[in-house]
Amino acid sequence: MDFRFDIIWDYGPLLLKGSLLTIGISILAILIGSILGLGVAIGKMSTKWYLNWPMNGYIHFFRGTPLYVQILIVHFGVVPLFMGQTNPIVAAVTALALNSAAYTAEIYRSGIQSIDKGQTEASYSLGMTHRQTMRFVILPQAIKRTIPAFGNEFIVLIKDSSLVALIAAPEIMYWSNAMRGQYIRVWEPYLAAAFIYLILTYSLNKLLSCIERKL
Amino acid sequence: MKPIIEVMDLTMSYGEHQVLNSINVAINKSEVVVIIGPSGSGKSTLLRCLNGLEKPQYGEVIIDGQSLMDSSVNISSVRANIGMVFQQFNLFPHMNVLENIMLAQEQVRKRSKESSQAKALDLLQKVGLTDKAEQSPTALSGGQAQRVAIARALAMDPAIMLFDEPTSALDPEMVGEVLAVMKDLAREGMTMVVVTHEMGFAREIGDRVLFMEQGIIIEEGAPQQLFDQPQQERTRDFLSKVL
Repeated sequence: MDFRFDIIWDYGPLLLKGSLLTIGISILAILIGSILGLGVAIGKMSTKWYLNWPMNGYIHFFRGTPLYVQILIVHFGVVPLFMGQTNPIVAAVTALALNSAAYTAEIYRSGIQSIDKGQTEASYSLGMTHRQTMRFVILPQAIKRTIPAFGNEFIVLIKDSSLVALIAAPEIMYWSNAMRGQYIRVWEPYLAAAFIYLILTYSLNKLLSCIERKL
Repeated sequence: MKPIIEVMDLTMSYGEHQVLNSINVAINKSEVVVIIGPSGSGKSTLLRCLNGLEKPQYGEVIIDGQSLMDSSVNISSVRANIGMVFQQFNLFPHMNVLENIMLAQEQVRKRSKESSQAKALDLLQKVGLTDKAEQSPTALSGGQAQRVAIARALAMDPAIMLFDEPTSALDPEMVGEVLAVMKDLAREGMTMVVVTHEMGFAREIGDRVLFMEQGIIIEEGAPQQLFDQPQQERTRDFLSKVL
């Protein structure tokens, strides 16, 4: 079997653009997802049924259905509803963010619940409200504990973002598919894509263990 | 004089287990009340009912005229006037000592950063820990941590201080330094409710001692009376084991 590095070289600029888009989509999705996720987690832990029921449902839906299906629903259904027409990049970020919010919500919840009850009691006994206790006492400690889990979630999200090629968001997989179509070859485009993802997740892993050591 | 703490008919159970059984107590301003009794007797639960950390099924706790059971009463503002010191200190590990003492001053009392800090430093001096201001609570010994916890509670200028077995988690050589701070407070006229196994402290500082068992106040009285001439068989029994 001959391996044609020249066609990878040919597609180099496009794969690079695709990689930047993958990184951009993933960063935006994890940022939005972790903000939404915090709200979902707090809602789920609320004692008020009108908060915890919908948030529970949210988590069940996004963890219990395939991301593929969610991407299609957002792309063909949700985005056109708000923007009049669809847009693959907006749909990609939205779908990934909504999906990752369900997972990060569970990360937050386990982090919050891992904080000793005495912390809450001490804070309450000083006259702090539930909100103040969360903001100044519980969350700063909980978030620090969840950083490793967030790192994993980010890595999963980068890999999952490959699915948005399906709706023609021009990221790594989109260009790999294009390459296969143009040259009718499989090894070069897909190994090149795999290699790029590996570089991304490996560097992120390194970065995260660096951050963890600092904390 | 109207009592600052009134507990009426307080009843609480976890499932089948009755933790508090129709407790009635009234505590006056500047009084130091010590609650003793075997573990599982409900004494910590009673203390935790006084600032609403436990929700009893029946009865009433009235702090300075405000009922904790009344849903229109702002529980946080009542709690701000009641300091509490825990067995496990419960300092905030992500803040240094000074920040621990400043947080609620700024957030609850809405004091400026400067005046919170000045107050915190004052209190650290009072508990003898000025040199620890910038340290993490995790770097403190048990006795130091508990003194910081007392300073943190005092920073709110509470009218009442609750102590839940404040020396039970301490190494024996550190008990004295914490009790010394508590004695100072008592002499300054602080209203205090103390759950403890330190009978010496109860006798020396307590104005009144309550002996609890199985969710009931079996006997109460001045320390001399309760320790030297207990009226109840069960009190005598308990005291003979701990003294």
